[in-house]
Amino acid sequence: MPRDIAILDGPAEAALPRGRRNYARRYAWFVVPAAVVVVAVILFPWLFTLYVSAFDWHLGSERRWVGLENYVRLFTDARFGWAVLRTLLYTVLAVVAPMVLGLAAALCFHRRFPLRGLARTVFILPMMATPVAVALVWTMMFHPQLGVLNWLLTQVGLPPSMWVYSAETVIPTLVMVEVWHWTPLVMLLILGGLASLPTDPYEAAKIDGASPWQAFRHITLPLLAPFIVVALIIRTIDALKAFDTIYVITQGGPGQASETINIFLYLQAFAFYNVGYASAVVVVFFAIIMVLAALLLWTRQRVKVT
Amino acid sequence: MNGITRREALRAGAAALAAPALVERANAQSAFDWRRFRGERIEVTVQLSPRGQFLQQNNKEFEDLTGIRVGLEVVPEQQHRQKIIVEYASGRPSFDVTEISLHVNKRQVGKARWNTDIKALLDDPALTAPDFDFADYGEGMVTYATQADGRLDSCPAGADYFILYYNKELFAAKNVEVPKTWDEMYEAAKRLADPSKQVYGHVGRGLKNANVVLWSSYLLGTSQRDMIDANRQLITDTPDAVWAGETYKKFLRDVSPPGSIGFNWNECQTTFMQGRAAMWVDGIGFAAPLEDARRSRVAGKVGYAVVPRGPGSHHCALFGAGYAIPEASRRKGPAWFYIQWALGKANQLKWLTSGAGVPARSSPFRNEEAIGQSHFPRDFFQTLEASARIARAGLPEIVPVTQFRDVIGTALTNTISGADVAAELKRATAEFRPILEQSERET
Amino acid sequence: MVGQPGHAPGPRSPAIRRLRRLAADAGFGLAVLALVSPAVLVFLWMLSLSLKNELDNTAWPPVFLPDPPTLDNYREVFARNDFLLFAWNSVVVSFSATGLALLVGVPAGYGIAKMRAIRAAALILIARITPGLSYLIPLFLLFQWLELTGTLLPIVISHLVITVPIVVWVMISFFEGLPGELEEAALVDGATIWQAFRHVALPLARPGITVATILAFIFSWNNFVFAMVLAGRETRTLPVAVNNMLTFEQISWGPLSAAALLVTLPVLLLTLVAQKQIVAGLTAGGVKGA
Repeated sequence: MPRDIAILDGPAEAALPRGRRNYARRYAWFVVPAAVVVVAVILFPWLFTLYVSAFDWHLGSERRWVGLENYVRLFTDARFGWAVLRTLLYTVLAVVAPMVLGLAAALCFHRRFPLRGLARTVFILPMMATPVAVALVWTMMFHPQLGVLNWLLTQVGLPPSMWVYSAETVIPTLVMVEVWHWTPLVMLLILGGLASLPTDPYEAAKIDGASPWQAFRHITLPLLAPFIVVALIIRTIDALKAFDTIYVITQGGPGQASETINIFLYLQAFAFYNVGYASAVVVVFFAIIMVLAALLLWTRQRVKVT
Repeated sequence: MNGITRREALRAGAAALAAPALVERANAQSAFDWRRFRGERIEVTVQLSPRGQFLQQNNKEFEDLTGIRVGLEVVPEQQHRQKIIVEYASGRPSFDVTEISLHVNKRQVGKARWNTDIKALLDDPALTAPDFDFADYGEGMVTYATQADGRLDSCPAGADYFILYYNKELFAAKNVEVPKTWDEMYEAAKRLADPSKQVYGHVGRGLKNANVVLWSSYLLGTSQRDMIDANRQLITDTPDAVWAGETYKKFLRDVSPPGSIGFNWNECQTTFMQGRAAMWVDGIGFAAPLEDARRSRVAGKVGYAVVPRGPGSHHCALFGAGYAIPEASRRKGPAWFYIQWALGKANQLKWLTSGAGVPARSSPFRNEEAIGQSHFPRDFFQTLEASARIARAGLPEIVPVTQFRDVIGTALTNTISGADVAAELKRATAEFRPILEQSERET
Repeated sequence: MVGQPGHAPGPRSPAIRRLRRLAADAGFGLAVLALVSPAVLVFLWMLSLSLKNELDNTAWPPVFLPDPPTLDNYREVFARNDFLLFAWNSVVVSFSATGLALLVGVPAGYGIAKMRAIRAAALILIARITPGLSYLIPLFLLFQWLELTGTLLPIVISHLVITVPIVVWVMISFFEGLPGELEEAALVDGATIWQAFRHVALPLARPGITVATILAFIFSWNNFVFAMVLAGRETRTLPVAVNNMLTFEQISWGPLSAAALLVTLPVLLLTLVAQKQIVAGLTAGGVKGA
């Protein structure tokens, strides 16, 4: 099982015998350097952000203590509300599509076939490619009149799409880029799951005369469930955090049609210089991510029980 | 004000630094000493543009002239604006010279007094070369760069006017005259369209934020003209503003390519360069790439004209840049030398003749010989001259310009998808008003 | 398709069975083709754009094969930008951030694995969850205050946000997978726990370290947002430099694609060479940069 999620499962600590626990403490020194780094580059920014979020602070002007005012303003800011909804929509699409495709791809790559290694490597290239570089190329491909994608569409008799140049299609299009990038990660996580499956249930199913679909539905899927949920959690977090691609391709446009929380945050902090307000956005954004992650972990516990 | 003390301080500092050069200077008493700061090192940051690239290519010339070493950074305009503001705000900007977009950042840097007043430097004969000739600057540009409190905290560098680019070939094929009013232009655009060849009558910025300056081009043709009134109150939902919005909507919605909603200058440029749009209203700096036969299919076929007039007046949108020295810089002397070189007569003339931009000085325009040799057509220079006479600020002089462009721009973008203009502008104005009020209070 | 090879045999004649099998194989082949073609096509189009002149790049209908191919775009990339400087910056940043992360992360992974310290691990997991952008305001102000902007140090430090969690995660799972008997034997023989780590566990975990290094390096190399805000003229990394090529007033699809390809080529090659390790590392836990 992927380690990073298993860690949240619960108190394995208690499982150690008491004598061993004192002994285990001696290993604390191994963690100290990393802890220092984490405190410096991760915890410090956190505390600072929390502090700044209580100020009305435009870069270049005086700071003014306003307490929770930024949060009040945030919860009544319709633009932020839309950004949250858009982020959720984007996340749902950018989770479901790679999950389905990634599962299918994992099943494909689990089978043996000629050139499998090469095909798998090519398949995972997108997730390794530099997102900014690829996003710039996508932008050129999306041009409604001169882009290669619309030419391809018209060649197969489909009407041209407006891609990122219309409020209706911009989110699905950005999701498409996200799918291109991150389906391989889902595939790899599930492939790892497939490799660990026991063979006995299949032998039994064969003897019982089950069809391949039945075997998949009743054996593979349930056994894979923990891996699927892990992929789901990771994908959800990443989709919520998506920034590079959206920033490079649309900067949140057209209008505000692809302005997710991250883009909203960027604009507030680095285009409008509302540092205090932006810090409040960070805090709320983090809370949203934590709530969703907790929700998924809870789901995972249920999956494990059944 | 404290100009004199600052000048004295500068002199003292500069003299101390230039001590080894004293002998050389004694030998050349009469001539201006370009090398008094030799051995120093300054950091310069400008926006990525043909002007920026020009400075980059000629950096050695300055270093050879003065012996000052220059670290020149060239950053895309949006990031550049963000970067310098953040650095100013930190109190320790890393640069000694920067380009300032006057139409975006003038008031912000002015109110915060981040830059040094160059008048003190100009008055100092030891620091300003006699042939720098500040009187050569057009009055309009100097006024544009001067702050409300009278400080000149940047040296005018260049102007940018919105002009009308048109495709002469398409105009000839349909026998269309160059339009004189916005309404004529709209009719012309309808006639010029050729759907069978995917040719559109018009192309223009639809992307939020970038599109505000096209809308303001229409607004400048009304009798209202501006976006804030004399009391610094927002007037972006008035009948004139709505007329400009309706004009914007009808150009972008009816006679522009599908997808214009997401078009910034680069998509517009690509479309126009490919001969797929007959008319385009945008900044004058695009003439250079349009006339570049290696990338443009319309090179040599581009017509230039001043923007059409509106029902109430006739103006073209003006934007501009100045070069400034941060108050926090410890190398103001060398920095000022750099500005004198970069914005000197010779370089400003080269900007003009290479189509890199519109110089803030007036002497280049009078240099018939150089203009005659330029590969740009006559009507380009004529358009420039005519535009200069009718230019008027294309954005309001307020601190939160970026947010203004964001909010109004969103409303305009929405109208392209069919939203009601009056309602959108009303909503956007209501949304931006408190932001403006707060920023005005923060003075 | 099922997750397990082999089909249930049906009571059919061999000829029909062969035919069905052939059809199934062809279908499967097409499915694989459909899976890999988006990846291949995007990279090929990138290559094509980078080898054509500007007129062909914006032509309609599109020109697919560069005729004749030109290296002008690549020349322009090197001429116009301090491309080599930015490449060097990227190398320095990614190697330093990876190296430092290994230095602190490998022992931490070991310690956490031995202690089964869930809370410590969860803290690092938070780094994985937090959006990268949110570190930037405080870090930027901090580095300004320390007068470190304009050097590579802030960028290296901010990249630790990406590399340390990756290294720690990969190493926890590797050390947990190792049998503890050898170290325990060493401890019984009087070795200190540091010696047991250094001479017993560490050599055994070498494959894990390789995986951690590769992944940390790639995600650090690809990172955009930190350097976008923190980098100055001489400290830009490649992703920032390539985004900056989107010049105002001039479009240049060719040079842009050439630069994009040059930026991503090192990681693509690394992926091709080390695909086995990468697959192993990623299947062991969803590690990805901030």
